[in-house]
Amino acid sequence: MGNTVIGSSIVIDGEITGEESLTILGTVKGKISVAQNLSVEAGATVEADVEAQTVTVSGRLTGNVVARERLDLKPESKMVGDAKSPRIVIADGAGFKGNVDMDV
Amino acid sequence: MADKETVVGSETRISGEVRGEEDLVVRGRIDGRMQLTQTLTVDKGATVQADVDVRHLVVSGTVIGAIVASESVKLTSTARVVGDLASPRVIMEAGAAYRGRVDMGDIAAARAAVSSRAVQRSAAGEKPAIRPAPPRMATAAKAVIAGKAAVPVAPPSPAVRSATVAAATAGAPGPAIPPAFPRVAGAMGAMAPAWAKKKIRRR
Repeated sequence: MGNTVIGSSIVIDGEITGEESLTILGTVKGKISVAQNLSVEAGATVEADVEAQTVTVSGRLTGNVVARERLDLKPESKMVGDAKSPRIVIADGAGFKGNVDMDV
Repeated sequence: MADKETVVGSETRISGEVRGEEDLVVRGRIDGRMQLTQTLTVDKGATVQADVDVRHLVVSGTVIGAIVASESVKLTSTARVVGDLASPRVIMEAGAAYRGRVDMGDIAAARAAVSSRAVQRSAAGEKPAIRPAPPRMATAAKAVIAGKAAVPVAPPSPAVRSATVAAATAGAPGPAIPPAFPRVAGAMGAMAPAWAKKKIRRR
């Protein structure tokens, strides 16, 4: 398995780039660019501009998001920033503040 | 979802600072600085170009940077490591490639040296490197250690001289060098050889 997991006690200040999926349970500040899925799990904090194929947020995300395929804001998630994606799903209970761009 | 262990996958690159209180396995690449209270494992094929401050370090891949491990360092047979290493327990397996200084004594001093260098670097906006000098300079420094002389025995080549001058200029007024690392300082300005300082004054 070639995926990347950032554990709950890990703090990263900088840039993450990758050709695979990234799961964040800890804290990342900076910039994230992955070719596949980005998952911001419950309890995770991301303060970064994000680019990925699909973005799933269960935790807290601050920054602009570009999801080439799909952005999924789960219940209990909090997101502040602009979202750009052809498909955006905001679940009941999710918090969101920012612009939405679905390329219409 | 994957297990809770932190893994930097083989196709992922992190540049910046990584801190944490758990084990971390690197299969891809990390550039910058790492500080962990547990075990850092650098798998075969992985590259870490960073100053590393951890409890245990296990290297099967490549590490370039100053290493401080409060408990142990293990270089397996596929390890490639360049940089000074400070830890009370150091294990090197047959086949491991290593260049640098090993200190099994004063870990606190080594840690202070690493962090002060990191601060210096971030202030200067420099990329992390094991020593603020190109490989040639490192070779010269090694020769000095071998000869136990305080100054280089032979007139340095122009490349080495200019590198040292640059280091001396950038390094002034120079950091406080712990006594455990007197030779490291040679490349850092404060302890630049006399001929290097003269060179600056003449210009």
